[in-house]
Amino acid sequence: MIRLIQSYLIDFTCIVAIAVVIYIISMTQIVGDTWSIHVPDSFLQLNTIFLSIIIEAIPFVLIGVLIAGFIQIFVTEDHIRRLLPKNRILAVAMSCVVGALFPACECGIVPIVRRLVSKGVPIYAAVGFLLTGPLINPIVILSTYMAFGNDFKMAGLRMGVGFIIAFVIAVITSFLFKTNQLKHSVEDFQSIASVTTKKISFSEKIMGMLKHSIDEFFDMGKYLIIGALFAAFIQTYVSAKSLLVFGDGIVGSTGIMMGLAYFLSLCSEADAFIGASFRNLFPSSAILAFLVFGPMIDLKNTIMLISAFKAKFVFVLLFLITSVVFLSTIFINFL
Amino acid sequence: MNRLQHFIRAVILAAFAIFFVSLHYSGDIMKYINPKYDIFSKIAAILFIVFFIIQIFRIWENPQNQHEHCPPGCTHDHGYSASLPKKVLSYFILVFPLLTGFAFAPTVLNSSIAENKGTILPQANNAAEKEKAVDDPTISNNQYIDPSIQNHETAQPRYHILSTEEYDSEIQKLKESEVIVMEDTIYEPYYGEINMNLSEYIGRKIKVVGFVYREEGLADNQLVISRFLISHCIADASIVGFLSEFPEAKDLKQDTWIEMEGIIEATTYNGVEIPIIKPENWKQIEQPSIPYIYPILQKVE
Repeated sequence: MIRLIQSYLIDFTCIVAIAVVIYIISMTQIVGDTWSIHVPDSFLQLNTIFLSIIIEAIPFVLIGVLIAGFIQIFVTEDHIRRLLPKNRILAVAMSCVVGALFPACECGIVPIVRRLVSKGVPIYAAVGFLLTGPLINPIVILSTYMAFGNDFKMAGLRMGVGFIIAFVIAVITSFLFKTNQLKHSVEDFQSIASVTTKKISFSEKIMGMLKHSIDEFFDMGKYLIIGALFAAFIQTYVSAKSLLVFGDGIVGSTGIMMGLAYFLSLCSEADAFIGASFRNLFPSSAILAFLVFGPMIDLKNTIMLISAFKAKFVFVLLFLITSVVFLSTIFINFL
Repeated sequence: MNRLQHFIRAVILAAFAIFFVSLHYSGDIMKYINPKYDIFSKIAAILFIVFFIIQIFRIWENPQNQHEHCPPGCTHDHGYSASLPKKVLSYFILVFPLLTGFAFAPTVLNSSIAENKGTILPQANNAAEKEKAVDDPTISNNQYIDPSIQNHETAQPRYHILSTEEYDSEIQKLKESEVIVMEDTIYEPYYGEINMNLSEYIGRKIKVVGFVYREEGLADNQLVISRFLISHCIADASIVGFLSEFPEAKDLKQDTWIEMEGIIEATTYNGVEIPIIKPENWKQIEQPSIPYIYPILQKVE
C-alpha cells in the first residue's frame, strides 16, 4: 500500500515538475517574442554565441561529471596509492601520459581532476593530467592537422611542445604546493568515511554514482555558464585586431595570441581553425602559443577551477602556465 | 527545504532535457553547432532525462539516508547548506541560458562578428608596405540578374566524412572540371587547395556563394565573398572567402548574399599573392538555409 502511494507520489511530482517547466518555457517565449524587436542585433548575436558554447560544452561536462561520479564510487584511495609511483617525477610523467591518452576537453576535465585530488592524487600529478588531457588527444591532433593545410608540422609541434610544457609546469607545482589545495578540506568527511564500510550492492553503487554526478553538475554548471557568457561577450564586442595595439613584434604577437586563447575560451577540439586564421597576422610561434595555451587554461576553465580549488593555487597555476608557455614559444621562435 | 531544493533541481534538469530535445526537434541545433557533432548533444539530452528521473526519486527520499550515497572521502556539501541568496543566485545562473535560449531564436553570424575574427586577406606588417591591388577594373562585364529568378535549393545537412579515395577523387575533380563549383560540402578543401597552389588555378572558371564582407583596407570596388567555417560550434567560427573586384561592389551592402561566376586570377595584396575572382556574372540570392560551411573530416585508415 505504502509502495503504491509512493509510486503515485513520484508520478505526480514528475507531472508537476514538467508542468512547471512547460509553463516557464511558454512564458519566456511570450516575453521573448515581445522583446526581441527591441533587443539590439548585437545582443542576439551574443546570445547565439553564448548558447552555442553551452550546447557544445554541456555534453562534455556531463560526461565529465559521470566519470567524476564513477571515480567517487568505484575508485578508492588504495587503488590510487598502489597505482601511482612514489617518485615525484615519475608520478608527474605518468599523469602526463595518462592525460595524453585520455580524451577529454577542458571543461569536462575539471570535475574529474577535483574528484581525483579528493581521492588522494597529489596535486602535481593532477596538474599534469589537467594540462595534457585536453591538449593531446586524437581529435585535437586531427583537427590541427587539417586546419593547417594537411601539414603535420604544427600538429606535431603542438603535441610535442605541449607535452614538455605540461611536464615542466607539473614538476614546478610539485615544489610549490604540498597539500591538496582543495577548497573544501577532505578531513570534514574522513571521520564519517571510516564508519561507512558496510557492503553496498552494485545497483546501489550505480545509483550513488548518478546522484553524485547530478550534484556535481549543479556545482560545476554555473561556472561553465558564467565563463561562456564572458567568452561570448568578448567575441561579440572585442575585435581581435584591436589587440594589435600591443605591438606586432614577436613578444607582442605571442602575448596577443595567448590573450585571445584565454579570453575566447574555445574548446581545444575546435580552436585549430581559429588559430590557422591568424596565420596572415602573426608568426607561427605565436600561433603555437595560442594552440598550446588555450587547452591548458582559459577564462571558462579558470572560473571552474576556482570553484574547486583555492583561489591562490589557481592564480599561481595560471601564472605558471602563462610564463612557461610564453617563454618557451619565444625560445622556439629563435631556433 | 531540502525537498524543495531537490524539486527545483528536478525542474532545472527537465528544462535542460526539453531544451536539448526541442533544439533537435526544430532543427535549430544546426544554428549552434556543426551537425557532425550532434550525437553529443543527443547524448546530453538522454543524460538529462535520466538525471531528471533520478532526481524525482530523491525528492521523496528519507532525509536520513540523504547522504548514504556518499562513501569514503565525500568532500562537498553539494551546495545544500549555502545561504539563501547564494542559492537563489546559483539557480538563477543555471536557468539563465535556458531563459534566453527559449526566449530568443538563434541568429546567423554576420559581418560584425567577422570583423572580430582573424582576417581572410594577408595584412601588411607596416603601413609603408601597403600597396593597393593593381588591376584594370574596366574588363569586368557583369550583369545584374533579378534576384527573384534564382532558385536556391534548400539543402540537406551538408557535412561529410570522406575516405581518402573519395577525398582524392574530389580533389581530382577540382583539377579537371570545367567550372569549379564551390559546393558547401567541399568548400573547405577546395579553398585550401586553391590558395595553396594558386598558379595551377589561374584562368579557371569558378562558381562561389557567400556574403559580402568588406575587410578593412579594401578598395571601394572590392569585397570579399565570405563564409563562416564552423569546426565545432559557432563560437569557433573562422572566416574564409575570396576577394573580388567589380564596379558595383561599392553599392552592395555588408551581409548581402551573392552567387558569382568568374575567373580566378592572381593579385598581390600587401605583398602576398592571393586569388581574386573576376566576375563574369553574379546575382543577389537569399541567405541559404544553412549559411555555414564545415571542414571535411578525412577518415584515417
